[in-house]
Amino acid sequence: MSAAPQGGRRAAVLAQQIRESAQALATLEREFPDNPAAMDYFYKLFHRVYCEGGRAQPEGTLVGTTCVQVPDEIVRAAGGIPVRLCSGSHAFDQAGADFMPAKSCSLVKATLGLLQDERPAWLDTLDRVVNLTTCDQKKKAGQMMEELGCQVHHLEFPPSKESEHARAFWRASVRDFVRAAERMTGGRVTRASLRESILAVSRAQAAYRRLQRLRAESPALLLGKDAFLVTNAYFFDDLERWTAAVDALVAELEARREAGISAALRRAPRILFTGSPPVFPNLKIPVLVEQAGGVIVADETCSANRMLNDAVSVDEWNLYDMVDAVADRYLKPCTCPIFTSNGDRLRRLLDLARTHAVDGVVYQAFAGCQVYEMEHHSVSRALAEAGLPCLYVETDYSPDDVGQLSTRVEAFIESLRSRRRRRQ
Amino acid sequence: MKRLRAFVNGADIQRFRTWFQLFAFVLLVYGGYLYIDLGNSLPVFACGFNDAGRGGVCYLLPLQHQTHIPWESLFSWRALGLVFGFLTFFAWLLVLNKAWCGYVCPLGTIQDWMTALRRRLRLRYSVYSLESFTRLKKVKYILLVLLILIPFAIGNPVEGLPHVPEDMATPFCTICPARMVIPAFTGDFSQWTLDFSTRTALVMTSLGMAILGIFFVGAFVNKRFFCFFCPMSALQALFSNIALLKLRKDGGKCTRCGDCYRVCDMQIKAIADDVERKTLIEDDCMMCLKCVAACPEEGCLKATFMGIPVYEATEEGFFRRLQRRGGE
Repeated sequence: MSAAPQGGRRAAVLAQQIRESAQALATLEREFPDNPAAMDYFYKLFHRVYCEGGRAQPEGTLVGTTCVQVPDEIVRAAGGIPVRLCSGSHAFDQAGADFMPAKSCSLVKATLGLLQDERPAWLDTLDRVVNLTTCDQKKKAGQMMEELGCQVHHLEFPPSKESEHARAFWRASVRDFVRAAERMTGGRVTRASLRESILAVSRAQAAYRRLQRLRAESPALLLGKDAFLVTNAYFFDDLERWTAAVDALVAELEARREAGISAALRRAPRILFTGSPPVFPNLKIPVLVEQAGGVIVADETCSANRMLNDAVSVDEWNLYDMVDAVADRYLKPCTCPIFTSNGDRLRRLLDLARTHAVDGVVYQAFAGCQVYEMEHHSVSRALAEAGLPCLYVETDYSPDDVGQLSTRVEAFIESLRSRRRRRQ
Repeated sequence: MKRLRAFVNGADIQRFRTWFQLFAFVLLVYGGYLYIDLGNSLPVFACGFNDAGRGGVCYLLPLQHQTHIPWESLFSWRALGLVFGFLTFFAWLLVLNKAWCGYVCPLGTIQDWMTALRRRLRLRYSVYSLESFTRLKKVKYILLVLLILIPFAIGNPVEGLPHVPEDMATPFCTICPARMVIPAFTGDFSQWTLDFSTRTALVMTSLGMAILGIFFVGAFVNKRFFCFFCPMSALQALFSNIALLKLRKDGGKCTRCGDCYRVCDMQIKAIADDVERKTLIEDDCMMCLKCVAACPEEGCLKATFMGIPVYEATEEGFFRRLQRRGGE
């Protein structure tokens, strides 16, 4: 390919990405009444970064990560700024189709599409990527990122997590990663810097948990589309600022609760969202669910709950134990379907359903994401045993199926409503 | 009540434990000077060889004496000593369960002090591999059986079998590091000797000295090194399920994040991985409750006394402790 037409094509992709982001934001912001004022921070943040070519992070070495299981604490301790590259853009998804077979996962394709040629402004200085060897598609994408000119560290992740071998393997992998992160950033991971980053991330997690706790209340205080936007912002926002913004949201929601203001009706079916991660601007399914009158009160996805729920626990605050503690946090509680067994994911779903008084589950699987497709069977069986209806949606980033999906989602929400009426 | 509970659950159990251990240590190692005597059936290594300072005596010492009786006497008044000794031991155990190990045992406390020293020196601890861990944890039961059988064999020689020498009357005490370590705290180093009087005594005291050396090295690099082998822990474990203090787990709330397992000094993996059992006191558990403090899931792990929760995992408590300990 010659430079000129490619450049033209790239400009079109970037323009399309801006258009779809603006559209998605308009839907999230304007099609739902009475959004919390504290959400403005997030709407504006996305607008600035995705539509206006602004940056969210402080100055520093950006380190791209392609999976929620890459230990952010280590990157931060080394002086880097982790940004998660998992993209939800249909424009990038189409651009990434140059690399991957047609039937592969939209998210992986979009990530490759994002890294191709000219980057969006907020990533223009990025050339270092940490790619985790999780599912096959992400694993193979690592090499393609190298071909795109990125300096890639292939962080090796074990295929199962139960055994002590897996734990030891992963710990060794993370210890290597400490050195790799230092090489990437030119900084050093010290006792003080790692302690600082563990504490900063844990403050963000504590804020997230406070928010999540409020979502357990009925009637719902926050719509899922906003909750996903909040956690999506964690991908790239400045950590302290994000934490402060979540705290502000929590404070506002608490005040709203006292004032008796809720985000959804008391009888709105409460939904637990699981499966392939909703990543901005692809909040297609969450938006459909809430346009149909449901409310997403909890999720088990790697763009939200799985990213922020589990905490590091350090026994001895010395470097040796902190690094191992960070490693353990990124392996043991992980409910990713790439692992050999999914008992933990099932229990997590049932626990979230119980604590959040959920009426039904929406399971999104990106076409081509084999592991989520494969786990559909065991998950739906476990949910059926617990008496929880589940809607399984296979989709991708293309807007073509919205019409068909909205009919299915509406029917599902309606069935949950009548089920509730029957029970009352 | 609600506020009190929130205060307790948000508290730093490790700090509380450090002070409690110090108090218990003074009581059991120096209590004798204050005429304190908690009897001789304590479920901890309050060493009886610490003549001057002891505030009570480890049950294993009288147990070895009491089982040193002929078979016929087992059915006579003489066996009453054995029965009452055990009942007293059992009564103590019933209250605190294995928390005796984590909160009271002076030898355990000394090991924790050595761990604290290592941590200050910023030296990494070592751990057993899962395989050796599984193998090693049997040692304590073997020691328990031997410390009962050997004295009994002295009193009941069997025709044809070699005679067990009288020097083996308290076989475990001779090799127990507490016999040398605890009296040393009152300035009594008389146990740090080899006994040349008979060949058996020489072998046993040499073994004891060797184990003392291993104890110091082991406890410095491995958290609670000796406790894996402790026959008292084995004896307690036999009855720990009926004691009043319990460690309970709600498997449904567990994410198996392993935070509890990774802070466990005794490397108990089941605390993280077992989501079926409601009461989770493994034989090596010393009920230090570090696991409860390290659990971020609301109400997943808790210590209960007669069914009443006394210390419970809470989200808020977890993050408060993390910030506080990390900030130090």
